[in-house]
Amino acid sequence: MREFIKSTRFKILLAFLAFLVGIMIYAVTKGGYSLTGVSFINTLSKPFRKASNSISMSFEKKLDKMKNADEYYDENQRLKAQLGEMNKKLTDYESIKAERDELRKFVSIKEEHEDYILSVPCDVMGFVTNDPFRSFTIDKGRADGIEPNCPVVTAEGLVGITLEVSEHVTTVRTILSPDLSIAAVCSSSNADSGIIEGGVIAAESARTRLIHVSPKHKLKEGDLMITSGSSGVFPKDYPIGTIKSIGYDSNGLSVTAVIEPCCDITRLTSVIVITDFSGKREDD
Amino acid sequence: MRLRTPREKRILYIKTAVRWFLYYLLIFFSFIFMTSGTWMKPILLVPIPLFISVNNNQYASVFTGAICGFLIDISCGKLFGYNAVLLSFFCIATSLAFELYLKNKFVNCMIIAAVVSFIQCWLDYKFYFQMWKYDDVERIFWKVSMKVWMYTVISSLFIFLIIKLINRFLMPRAHLTIEEAIVNRNQQQ
Repeated sequence: MREFIKSTRFKILLAFLAFLVGIMIYAVTKGGYSLTGVSFINTLSKPFRKASNSISMSFEKKLDKMKNADEYYDENQRLKAQLGEMNKKLTDYESIKAERDELRKFVSIKEEHEDYILSVPCDVMGFVTNDPFRSFTIDKGRADGIEPNCPVVTAEGLVGITLEVSEHVTTVRTILSPDLSIAAVCSSSNADSGIIEGGVIAAESARTRLIHVSPKHKLKEGDLMITSGSSGVFPKDYPIGTIKSIGYDSNGLSVTAVIEPCCDITRLTSVIVITDFSGKREDD
Repeated sequence: MRLRTPREKRILYIKTAVRWFLYYLLIFFSFIFMTSGTWMKPILLVPIPLFISVNNNQYASVFTGAICGFLIDISCGKLFGYNAVLLSFFCIATSLAFELYLKNKFVNCMIIAAVVSFIQCWLDYKFYFQMWKYDDVERIFWKVSMKVWMYTVISSLFIFLIIKLINRFLMPRAHLTIEEAIVNRNQQQ
């Protein structure tokens, strides 16, 4: 061993390790953009990862059916009951729809979001290995106009934010992560506000949390939380999720709520990135 | 190793090239496996470079360790280079340990794989979760890190068998002359 430490071979290996540490430090300074090597590997492995992921997803779906057959049966019965209830509501809905169509003559959805610049639809390539907060990769990147810190959405609601952007692949951090904080307000009252921030326990059931809520709040279960747009990172009034339960945090001083995201983050297949919108904060 | 004929040399080069091609094919498929699906998966790219290091010199080991580390960083969304540094270090250590102190046995390989994958999972938990003091962060250690470690150790068994199979057919063996064999035998007696 002593001979090895004194040898040239040891010095070369030490230099190589120092080189790797250098790469790591350089990667930190890239500010959300991938290194050329990462981009190359991502581009090279993209078709294989997509193919493998589709096989894996169908395999998991089949196993899931077998594993949770009883649960699905119960869910089916419950959904049948719900369907009957929904049919009753459908009659009411038709009249509301007619009224809404009248209103749509004045304000169309297009006009509502004309400030949004959207990317092309992005396929979910796969979820980040063993990430408890369900970060995932999409098949579009810098070449498609995506930049770090762009909101990622589906038609149902907010999903997360772009984290690391390669030429053709982007990593997305979801709203289940404690590293992502979003200012939110209640859509019905527009007065009760808080911060949407993921937590370890909430993420286990694909939910997130609403924290820093005023003790004098008027929130109730089922309320829809939307983005406040105050940070300039997310557009205003985009749905995030509905309140499942309200309680106090571990110290018993501030109110927290469990939020069920509008879209099922564990089953995402495609998303859209909002590359620009009015009120977006411009980073230097 | 004593190579006496040009034919033997040619066979050695071909076998070595095929062996390394198969090693890297295994690494590539493990990377693809790790980036697919939504379930928790073993970090296959930890035992692979370690088992490759057992039978190879330090240069080959450190290079393979770095490549596998970079691929882990990409698939697990970690800081690019973090796992590369870690695995390069462990691959050099493994290569040296087997060259100087340990015999190439199944139990030794599995212990090395278990220890290194535990350290990898533990450091990952320390740097990426515990350090940031999330609420209930210890659940991640027991429900994610330990599960991943267990899966990795179990899958190491299969990785060991695959690499053993590749080595059995493609790893060059020492050729001894009859005189050398007799001398060796006399020395042993």
